[in-house]
Amino acid sequence: MSVPARLDRYIETEKQRHFSRDFMTGWQEYETWDEATVGQSGAGQRPFIITEEDILSYNRACGETDPLMIDPEHAHKYSPTGELLQHPVFVTTIAFYCLGERGIGTWIRTPGARNPQQRIEILQPFRYGEVITTTVTTVDKFTQRRKPYLQMLLDFRNERHVFKARWWCSLILPKTRADVARFANA
Amino acid sequence: MSVTFSAVAAGDELPPVEQSYAQPAIDRYALASLDMNPVHTNEAWAARAKVFGIPETVGHGMMTMSTLASVVTRAWGVANTSGGSIRFVAAKFTKPVKVGETVTAIGRVKRKHHFGPGKNWVQVDVEARDSTGDLIGFAEVGYNLPD
Repeated sequence: MSVPARLDRYIETEKQRHFSRDFMTGWQEYETWDEATVGQSGAGQRPFIITEEDILSYNRACGETDPLMIDPEHAHKYSPTGELLQHPVFVTTIAFYCLGERGIGTWIRTPGARNPQQRIEILQPFRYGEVITTTVTTVDKFTQRRKPYLQMLLDFRNERHVFKARWWCSLILPKTRADVARFANA
Repeated sequence: MSVTFSAVAAGDELPPVEQSYAQPAIDRYALASLDMNPVHTNEAWAARAKVFGIPETVGHGMMTMSTLASVVTRAWGVANTSGGSIRFVAAKFTKPVKVGETVTAIGRVKRKHHFGPGKNWVQVDVEARDSTGDLIGFAEVGYNLPD
């Protein structure tokens, strides 16, 4: 599908430069609600190396003005870590990057999905240079008021296996690939 | 920022956060989060698909969650100089945020959890409303506070 060209003006990081802005790329391979199995677990497709520009971009997009979050020089001098402090919902960026387009958890990219609720726990701040990998487990799947809900737990660890954060990610999804197709081809 | 556990009381209000959901703000969030769902960024697709029953683009749920969490982080810091830090954010979304909206979020200390020195934390309840006054989401935010 066509992607609005105006989005290019907001590119601020290397990851954004190379990440597909076409949400529908490979949608035929995304995991769907009816295929997901509770208890199934797997690894995200690729690691996320934490950089200053990733954190800066997310913080700015949230409208933050605290210099500890948006001024690298100030953060270097005054933040508890000597680095920019990240917004607690920054794991969103890591998840979308790591999950990619194939395999478990790719339903996060489902066209037509709706967001009912989320829970994020922060165990330690992310640090520049850490190589973050995700483990994804499908933890719940049910229908409520005729809406199909799916929930996965994403565990984020660094290269030394230090536990950094957890995200219980829930979406209301089109139920089958045919249902997804109706949105993908809209 | 140097807020402490003993200085905080249930019922304390945190300053409100106002966030624009104009299309440039949503576009910027899409790039920053790598959530490129066209329901947020592609007006023509959003009008055809009507995912939420409306023909406009909408803000990301995770953008709303960020606004909700920002009420606490802007008041007390993501990690403050006296050792405070965010424990968790749990959010529910009750109404999609239409493009062009301005969202206002307010927070109030709900409960103090006394677990002993170095382990105490507080729960802040935050809610966000659009310009019509409708509730668009709410959250519980857990925050570790030094004694």
